[in-house]
Amino acid sequence: MAKKVLLVDDEAGFTQLLKMNLEKSGGYEVMIENDSTQALAMALSFEPDAIVLDVVMPGMDGGDVQAQLQQSPKLSGVPVVMLTALVDSAELSEGAVAQAGSTTVLPKPVDLSLLLRVLDDMLS
Amino acid sequence: MHKQSLVESVLDNLPVAVFVKDATDGFKFILWNKKQEEITSLRAVKALGNDDYDLFSQESADYFRSVDKAVLKRGKLLRVPEEIIDTKHRGEVHLRTVKLPVHDERTGHDLVVGISEDITEKVQSLRQLEHLNKNLVETNKELADTQMQLIQAEKLESIGRLAAGVAHEVKNPLAMILLGVDYLSQGIDPDDPNVDTILTQMREAVARADRIVRGLVDFSSQRALSREPVKLDLVIDEVLLLVRHELTRTTTNVTIDIQDDLPHVFLDMSKFEQVMINLVINAVHAMHKSTKAELLIRGRCERMKDVIKNQGARKFEVFRDGDQVVILDIIDNGTGIEKGDVNRLFDPFFTTKATGHGTGLGLSVAKKIVALHGGNLTLENREDGKGAMARLILPTKIDTGKVSLVPNLLKEIDT
Repeated sequence: MAKKVLLVDDEAGFTQLLKMNLEKSGGYEVMIENDSTQALAMALSFEPDAIVLDVVMPGMDGGDVQAQLQQSPKLSGVPVVMLTALVDSAELSEGAVAQAGSTTVLPKPVDLSLLLRVLDDMLS
Repeated sequence: MHKQSLVESVLDNLPVAVFVKDATDGFKFILWNKKQEEITSLRAVKALGNDDYDLFSQESADYFRSVDKAVLKRGKLLRVPEEIIDTKHRGEVHLRTVKLPVHDERTGHDLVVGISEDITEKVQSLRQLEHLNKNLVETNKELADTQMQLIQAEKLESIGRLAAGVAHEVKNPLAMILLGVDYLSQGIDPDDPNVDTILTQMREAVARADRIVRGLVDFSSQRALSREPVKLDLVIDEVLLLVRHELTRTTTNVTIDIQDDLPHVFLDMSKFEQVMINLVINAVHAMHKSTKAELLIRGRCERMKDVIKNQGARKFEVFRDGDQVVILDIIDNGTGIEKGDVNRLFDPFFTTKATGHGTGLGLSVAKKIVALHGGNLTLENREDGKGAMARLILPTKIDTGKVSLVPNLLKEIDT
């Protein structure tokens, strides 16, 4: 059975393109959530094997979503990949990523082969 | 010495120079009063019986003679607004002279009567004033250049503040293009329905990145104030595009309430965007402690009278009662303005931000830019005390009636 990946990013176009790529190249089953405040509910119902999270989002940012996931017994063990277009590495260390613990952080624009490798590692 | 006649006595006490030449007798001087002695540094005893060629330079004498002849030919009074004579003691003396032809019935001679006023001091003050005026114009120009440089410097500062956000906004479309390329580079299946979607998304991503980069380039270009009629909602769209990242990062909800059919305002887009970016970023920073950051941008058109009524006793000297204006309010629900800061907000280098987070020039430059547009910028706390409001009042037409004080002054002195 295909592994399930949830994409949480407010950029609808971006998630659509990433979904197509992950489905085609990685054989994943991909679900999209563009509203970060709905990410937890979506994760609970979709039960993903991995979650790809954007950092800068309106409503709740990636760090907030990550914290919610950590608090959920059902989801706290699900590996997370965080994507960020932030250019300032200082912002990366003090914000969402510090709370993210073992979460992998990848810069945007995302290198697809790198993301596929990371997901493969996480899910193997 | 002979006893002076009444006429001679009057003539010698006049504050103007009076002389008479006998045109029938070689234009020899037959009258030369005290003031004429003073002005020309020539005593009457020396002048009387002589002509201009005996007393003045060839060049001056030629000129006087030609005027005298013209007076006789015309048969009426002639005004010479300014003539210059070289004198022994005073150098160049400037005169304003009136010459008139008189026919002496007694002798049958034609006479030329001249009355001259010494305007040397007046001319000198005028020259001095012209010089000062020139300096003033130059200083004004330097000041205007410096202001433009200051505006540009502040603009570069705000570009620095926006850089991270703009990079983010450009990187997202780039990420989409890259994903499109990744997908398509694995081989294109003509039956794959995704291909169309991917190409559309890639095209949109390019357009979006282009829009952001172009907006930034337009914004950063230095130009003299170049105003054009623009729709305010267009400016707001452009500005929100540049600060989108900042708004998203701070989860600021933006409401735009612009009256339909708002008249055009005459703006320099780039400089006005600078003002708007400054005000929006200030508002966002003021709301960093708010649980729900709400930014309202409200625009409407009013007559000046209503504006004043709404603003209590405040006066806007740049506008007159009844002027049609566009009012743009940027309202936040942040911490508001500290009482002690109200009067200092627009002072250059005044800032409440930590060192390195603001030059303190933003608002003073913004106010300057708005003033250059013939408008007004004010900042005050909301009446309900729940934040602050920046208000921009802009004219809907360009005022071309400029008051120039110095030329008027010159004119007054000259008459």
